[in-house]
Amino acid sequence: MLRGRVDRREFLRTATLLGMSASAAYGIAGKLTRGDLIPSANAQFITGLPKGNFGGTLRVSMRVQPMTDPATFDWTEMSNVARQFLEYLFITGPDNLTRPHLCRRWAVSRDLKTWTLFLQQGVKWTNGDEFGADDVLFNFKRWLDPKTGSSNQSLFTAMTTSAPTGRLGKDGKSLISTTMSPGAIEKIDNYTVRLHLNRGELSLPESLYNYPTAIVHHRFEDEGGDLSKNPVGTGPFRLTEFKVGEKAVLQKRKDYWGGEPYLDNIVYVDHGDNAGASLAALASDQVDLVYETPVEQIDVVDRIPNARLFETVTAQTAVARMQVDKKPFVDPRVRTAVRLCQDHEQLLLLAHRARGVAAEDHHVAPVHPDYVSMAAPAQNYRLAKQLLTEAGFANGLDLKIDCRKDPPWEVSLAQALAEMCKPVDIQIKINVMPNAQYSENWDKTPFGLTAWTHRPLGFMVPNLAYRSGAQWNETHYSNPEYDRILDQASSTLEVDKRKQYMVQLQKILQKDAVIAQPFWRSIFAAGNKRVQGYELHPSVYHRLNKVWLA
Amino acid sequence: MGVFILKRLGYMIVTMFAVSVLVFLLLEISPGTVATKVLGAFSTEEQRRLWLEANGYFDPLLTRYFTWLGNVLSGDFGESIRFKVPVGDILWPRLINTAILGGTALAVIVPLSLGLGVLAGMREGSRSDRVISITSIITTSIPEFASAVFFSAVFVFWLKWLPGTSGMAEGFNFKELILPVLVLVIYDFGYVTRMTRSSMAEVMMTPYIRTAILKGLPRNQVVTNHAIRNALIGPFTIIMLQINWLLSGVIVVEFFFAYKGFGAVLLEASLNQDIYLIEACAMVAVVVAVVTQTITDIIYTQLNPRIRFA
Repeated sequence: MLRGRVDRREFLRTATLLGMSASAAYGIAGKLTRGDLIPSANAQFITGLPKGNFGGTLRVSMRVQPMTDPATFDWTEMSNVARQFLEYLFITGPDNLTRPHLCRRWAVSRDLKTWTLFLQQGVKWTNGDEFGADDVLFNFKRWLDPKTGSSNQSLFTAMTTSAPTGRLGKDGKSLISTTMSPGAIEKIDNYTVRLHLNRGELSLPESLYNYPTAIVHHRFEDEGGDLSKNPVGTGPFRLTEFKVGEKAVLQKRKDYWGGEPYLDNIVYVDHGDNAGASLAALASDQVDLVYETPVEQIDVVDRIPNARLFETVTAQTAVARMQVDKKPFVDPRVRTAVRLCQDHEQLLLLAHRARGVAAEDHHVAPVHPDYVSMAAPAQNYRLAKQLLTEAGFANGLDLKIDCRKDPPWEVSLAQALAEMCKPVDIQIKINVMPNAQYSENWDKTPFGLTAWTHRPLGFMVPNLAYRSGAQWNETHYSNPEYDRILDQASSTLEVDKRKQYMVQLQKILQKDAVIAQPFWRSIFAAGNKRVQGYELHPSVYHRLNKVWLA
Repeated sequence: MGVFILKRLGYMIVTMFAVSVLVFLLLEISPGTVATKVLGAFSTEEQRRLWLEANGYFDPLLTRYFTWLGNVLSGDFGESIRFKVPVGDILWPRLINTAILGGTALAVIVPLSLGLGVLAGMREGSRSDRVISITSIITTSIPEFASAVFFSAVFVFWLKWLPGTSGMAEGFNFKELILPVLVLVIYDFGYVTRMTRSSMAEVMMTPYIRTAILKGLPRNQVVTNHAIRNALIGPFTIIMLQINWLLSGVIVVEFFFAYKGFGAVLLEASLNQDIYLIEACAMVAVVVAVVTQTITDIIYTQLNPRIRFA
């Protein structure tokens, strides 16, 4: 860190990954850099912060969605209510750093295949039971059972095995069943579990803070399997009232193992999908905080007295991705021509009010610790036209891009991109679809604008989206060289070494031009100035036990 | 009248049956979509297949339809896919909320528009007629989403007199009802006023009114005793039709002010292909439509004895 080869964040991550406690890692980092021991950005996620005011009710405007089974959560909002009373083995803070939580420390083998998780002791569920290894085992088994329907199954493929079921699907193809690999998880004692992975997996701690990985009590299913009706948790609050589509009320637990929360109560109020309603509620002091404020409305916040705007740069993005096995995108010259038409800074300005960072068409973000800075790709119409001519489209090319109706900035982006392609005679017709219809089609369309959410490490999205045959490989991109380097990057602990692989991945994806990626976007949340200690998480995760009201 | 009501009841049942079949067919032709909505866009094909299997979506369409119908006849509307609770738990409270909103709006619209309509129609072409007519045309031509934004800007963001949303999160609050009611009234009163005005103007031109005036009856007596009753037949039909509009046509207002009503739940159910909830909403809408129509016909006979039940 002193030599500048790794930054403070990556030092902390690697130190904790090697089993050092978070507080010890912070202590060393602070001594080395003479900086603050704990950055204020992590106020809501760690303990030992300056004192806030106890008491009060925080009212938050957010969708109150069904909260039956955390394993099947498919929206962050669901998890935000649950996150106040359910907890995770790890926590990734707003600074992108992952720390142990219900797992107090861990040990990992050099090949990253064997993970031993040492659990917190003395953690009580709201029903009085003590949290332990049985709870963790129960959750992993559920996540990896296809009957549960959890997206976690795709997250922990290193713990699953796929085999034919012997039955045929509608299309006549053999149906494949994916289940937990035998012996993938082992109970060592009441407070220790060991995970045995099929392959090395560096991002396991980060995956264990993905929102459907909240740990439920081991009798969750026996007691009805409905979290909203039986909200047993280990977290700092308890759920006292829950009405889907209306509100959720949470009350603090004074006996919380991580320290008494500042707030007495949290009330989530559902104002529907109308972002304007949330701001109107903030303006008339009906709420103190809004879950997320669209970029189109950030100017309104400036005009509301006592309101402030929380903002954070993220690895959230939208990519104009092309399916490499569909005409005309089979020809890399066509894809490159589309890519070269972009003026990234202009697209950021036109579609997102210049709030964010220009991207470089390789889906690794500057906020990722393993990102390697590259020269910004420049708009080059001359080369684009030349490539199109060589590909046989000298007279122009007609394309259709599918995009969803909401959020509006995605449509604006598609329109701006279409305009930028016109000078080389690429005419892009924009097919705006209702979101529900788009979600059926997002991975099928030859040319589509797909939004990708934030992930803390640079190789995580490439593993999901650009690895050959990966489940969310919407471009159908397949490059053995890319896969091989991705394997190495995904299993390299030392960040400076991993960066050597990442830069290769960035260059390959940029050269193969499977995506045109204009920018990384900032996200926003409006709140009252009295809300203290809140930092906007890049995934908009709420953890409000260290938030207080001034 | 008994036969008439029985006929209407039969008509209602046939309509409900036809609507339920239609909705079922429209929504059930793509069962894969339902599984994606429940499990999310990132669920695997195997997970979606298992969910569909567990929830009976692989049974023949007729089996599924008649199972649903049998359950409905026994009072079970099924479970909402979107809200993950029995449909009744969502539907009835939302229906009551919309009844409160619609009832309050009607309580303002009816006397206001009848009063203004009669006033304008009494003296066709007068200054008061022109002012009322122009105002009515202007307000009716402003869509609800525009007036909602305008009133919100004025009363919430600028004057800070009223709450910006009407979710009643802390229990019933009359102040939260003001803006949605105001928007509904502004949009609707002009229409009913115009209908009342033209009906009144027509009656005022009839020979019996002219006779009454010529024989020296005071004008207010002519209006109240002879004109209004006949002039109300037309507007009454319009007012009854507003009940249907207030049930499901208030989606914009409920969405804008986050009011937890029937329109908002219908919108959410439709966007999420929540079949059982949509079916229940459709059934309620049919019942309300037929009942209001029946009541209209009955009251018609009271207002105009020349009309008889067919």
